[in-house]
Amino acid sequence: MNILLLLILVPIVAGVLVLLSRKTIPHTRESATMLIALVNLIAVIALFGQDLPYSHSWGPFKAFSLDLRYYSFSSFILIAAAGFTLLVTIYSWRFMQDRAHRSQYYGYMLLSLGFTNGAVLADNLILLLFFWEGLLGTLFGMIAIGRPGAWKTAMKAFIIVGVTDLCLMLGIILTGTMAHTFKMSEISLPVQGLGITAMLLMCVGATAKAGAMPFHSWIPDAAVDAPLPFMAFMPASLEKLLGIYLLTRITLNLYKLSPDSWVSPALMTFGCITILAAVMMALVQKDFKRLLSYHAVSQVGYMILGVGTALPIGIIGGVFHMVNHAMYKSCLFLTAGSVEKQTGTTDLAKLGGIGRLMPITFTCFIIAAMAISGVPPLNGFWSKEFVYDAALSHHVIFYLAAVLGSFFTAASFLKLGHAAFLGKRDPANDNVKEAPVSMLAPMILIAAGCILFGLWNALPLNHLVGPSTGLAAEAQEHAGFHLPSLLLATLTCVALLGALANHIIGARANGGGLHAADHIQYAPVLGSIYKKAQTDGADPYNFATRVAGYFCTAGWACDKAVDWVYDGFTVWLTRTLSFAVRASHTGSYALYVLWALVGAAAVVIYLTRIMP
Amino acid sequence: MLPLFVLVPLALLMIVNLPVGQFLRRWSWGLTLLLTIAQAAALICFAPHLKAGGFLATLIPLTLELDNLSCVMLLAIAIVVGASLLVARGTVSGMKQLSNFASLVLIAMAGMNALALLRDLFSLWLFFEVVGVASFVLIAFRRDRGALEGAFTYIILSGVATVLMLGGLAILMLVGRGESSPLTFANVQAALQISGGLTAARLGIGMFLCGLLIKGGLVPFHGWLPGAYSAANAPASVLLAGIVTKATGVYGLMRVVSSVIPPTPGVNAVVLFAGAAAVVIGALGALYQSEMKRLFAYSSISQVGYILLGLGCGGPLGMLGATLHLFNHAIFKSLLFVNAAAVEQRVGTTDMTRLGGLGSKMPWTNVTSLIATLSTAGVPPLSGFWSKLIIVVALWQGAHYGYAVVAILFSLVTLGYLLLMQRKVFFGEMPAELANTREASPSVVISAVVLAGITFGMGVLFPLLLKTFLLPVKSIFPLQ
Repeated sequence: MNILLLLILVPIVAGVLVLLSRKTIPHTRESATMLIALVNLIAVIALFGQDLPYSHSWGPFKAFSLDLRYYSFSSFILIAAAGFTLLVTIYSWRFMQDRAHRSQYYGYMLLSLGFTNGAVLADNLILLLFFWEGLLGTLFGMIAIGRPGAWKTAMKAFIIVGVTDLCLMLGIILTGTMAHTFKMSEISLPVQGLGITAMLLMCVGATAKAGAMPFHSWIPDAAVDAPLPFMAFMPASLEKLLGIYLLTRITLNLYKLSPDSWVSPALMTFGCITILAAVMMALVQKDFKRLLSYHAVSQVGYMILGVGTALPIGIIGGVFHMVNHAMYKSCLFLTAGSVEKQTGTTDLAKLGGIGRLMPITFTCFIIAAMAISGVPPLNGFWSKEFVYDAALSHHVIFYLAAVLGSFFTAASFLKLGHAAFLGKRDPANDNVKEAPVSMLAPMILIAAGCILFGLWNALPLNHLVGPSTGLAAEAQEHAGFHLPSLLLATLTCVALLGALANHIIGARANGGGLHAADHIQYAPVLGSIYKKAQTDGADPYNFATRVAGYFCTAGWACDKAVDWVYDGFTVWLTRTLSFAVRASHTGSYALYVLWALVGAAAVVIYLTRIMP
Repeated sequence: MLPLFVLVPLALLMIVNLPVGQFLRRWSWGLTLLLTIAQAAALICFAPHLKAGGFLATLIPLTLELDNLSCVMLLAIAIVVGASLLVARGTVSGMKQLSNFASLVLIAMAGMNALALLRDLFSLWLFFEVVGVASFVLIAFRRDRGALEGAFTYIILSGVATVLMLGGLAILMLVGRGESSPLTFANVQAALQISGGLTAARLGIGMFLCGLLIKGGLVPFHGWLPGAYSAANAPASVLLAGIVTKATGVYGLMRVVSSVIPPTPGVNAVVLFAGAAAVVIGALGALYQSEMKRLFAYSSISQVGYILLGLGCGGPLGMLGATLHLFNHAIFKSLLFVNAAAVEQRVGTTDMTRLGGLGSKMPWTNVTSLIATLSTAGVPPLSGFWSKLIIVVALWQGAHYGYAVVAILFSLVTLGYLLLMQRKVFFGEMPAELANTREASPSVVISAVVLAGITFGMGVLFPLLLKTFLLPVKSIFPLQ
């Protein structure tokens, strides 16, 4: 059997088996999942560098043919996905140990891995859609098995992602119809006319998968409700990888997006709004996981901004940022998991001062937080610099928005680190211990990866990002410590120092790390906006459900009206007529004879007049 | 050969009533039943070989002819009369009463057989009266107040019909004077065509038609029908609803419209309108009825309306639909009345407000009633479905879209009221006083099963029937 098919089928079959498994020997499910993730990782690494097409057609149904393709870009995503799956599985061993629904958890995990492999390998848009929708199912399942009542959040995620998947489906149908084929490697359409609609629809599907605004609102809820490794697994890594992968495929391959077209600034605006709005929300969160989840939204903005510029450096930056983000964000979520596991809470008000008790976790957190804030020379710094450079070539306003986003990112992580790990310790946390090794190992590995990709950025740029985007020459040019612009790097450092200064002043003024951002939260104009946003008024999902509610009411009214026509009016009419008929049959001979005579007269008169 | 259909019942009637003591009267029921079986068998086996003329034709001076419509009628007569006799066996008490009943049935049977074969208007009227007289007595057979009242209403309206028909015949005779036999179908048709503008001929045939409409119980000539059907005793109502009013009214109409009156849109319009009115009023009358037999009576009006809708289409397809529905109606309406007789026999009432849950106690009655219900409503694959389908198709092809819609809508109403009946009588809660109900007596059950079998078999085997029997006969009604 073809190795590509095995990559898809083995995790799916194993996932189904794990789902069906009953409690047997301890750790069988965990070790099976880990084994498959490991084998998967080894397989995709072993295949690295090859270009393997596979095609199997179902007779006359060309549109549904099973086209797979393993090439530089897909191999990159596959390796990243495989790596994160393995690390999260290792991490989950201890984290999920005492929790219910483990069969489902590991089963969904394997299914997600299989579907991700399928979606990335697919060289047919319909096949891609098939695996894409499969991920929707596992997403629902993994959230729903969280704490009691999580199914509401799962439903929210399902509806939001489902609606955007519908957009993707429409876009795919339009694209396939215009291109007369669904084979991705054969499609190359200009961005004009109906193509714009199709492309934007597909972009909605892709960016929503990555968690961009306004399709993000399930992520903060899921951070609270779902099992924590899920956050590191799906929204932080797999979904970002898939979403940005597809977005890049759309803008690079399927459509020829040029920087001059108006679609490019539109995507960039979309990215900037996502960066700023989400980071502003992150800044004021009082919960470790919720704060991180808003950043998971915010960082997507950089990727969309980068890819949306349609400039080589921007695309390289966007894709590089994608893999960087997957690393530091999953690391951050894993540290949040350690804290939750060891202290039993992620509420920042109850945390504080545990940095000393959990030194390794704290170190990993610092590295990842620096990476996400873009502190040189960590990996986040490089990818952001590329994005800044590309944004500035379009317009200075995009650049300013991106730097402002960086400022707030740094500010919120200073606040988070200060509130969670430094400051005064709650006496209840005095006996907190460092997390177990199986949970520390993944964090350390990822944190080390952040440093590695920062110091030796030629490794990812030359071997992963460059070849996969087909921009090897440009990537090579910027690899190493060859900054696009020294001025911009200086400005970035200024912004970061500004954030540090802001934090120190804020912490002094408002008393403690947790309240370091209060002067921003309660600033004159922002205060009222925050108040509104905090009360869920800004959640587009709530708005949409309200509108849907009106539609339901209207539909219900129509339904009732139709019901009334059948059940009310018709019954009333037949009943009235029926009783009229009965009432007219009085049993009087005279009446009956009269009827007969009148009828006879009518018939005879009619016949004599009508017959020839 | 053909006169035998009239002479044998009459001869049997005389023989069993010979004043030689009770011996022969004892046999009258059985002999009559045998006669019906013989008639059905003769028609099924020898229909193509039955010929007019011969030695017997010289004995009675009647013009008799056999065509496919006659065959269908004669078959229906045999089946329904047989069913009625079986029901009588279970419900009429006493040998004397049973023998009286058999004698009346023989008179009616002779009259109806003659109607099916006759080809002139005067003899037609004559045998209407023969059947009519037998029906009066049959309705009043129970001799209680309701029965007498029902019979009396029928007599009065029949009187009106007689006056109309006789008047019409007189006018037609005046118009056609000089002819040796002015009232044969062919001659009347000729008179209507030749005269062209002769108002008198049209007046005459119009009055005759009105008489037929009264006899058939079409709206608004139906005043007598619900009372007569529901007041008559069980076997008599089977006979009346199943065949008597069909043979006198509807069959007469079909004969006169198709073979006497030259094809004119005006006549078809009258027939269509009368049919639609009957469909609507009958169904509405049945909808909220609480008395089982009265409900079936209104349903009869409605179903006769369907036959007229088919007839009014004017084409061979419509005629085929009408004939099929005439036969089907005879079967399933008799079946419903047999079921009503079964309920009446065991519970003593057909008032549906006092019934319920009988399905578990009377399984055969329940199932056969359900078959009749579904067939009447035109649910596939039962026979009623095919005939209604043909009628609707014929209406549609004839561009009578409104009537087609009425036909479809009111077959829903039909299903509605019959299912309501089914629920009130056989399903639902059983009142405590009915706990000891038993299945009806064997003869009643047998007749129900036979009728249900015919309905079911005809429906299921209809494609076969169509292929082997209906389609090869290119022109089903040569007189058309």
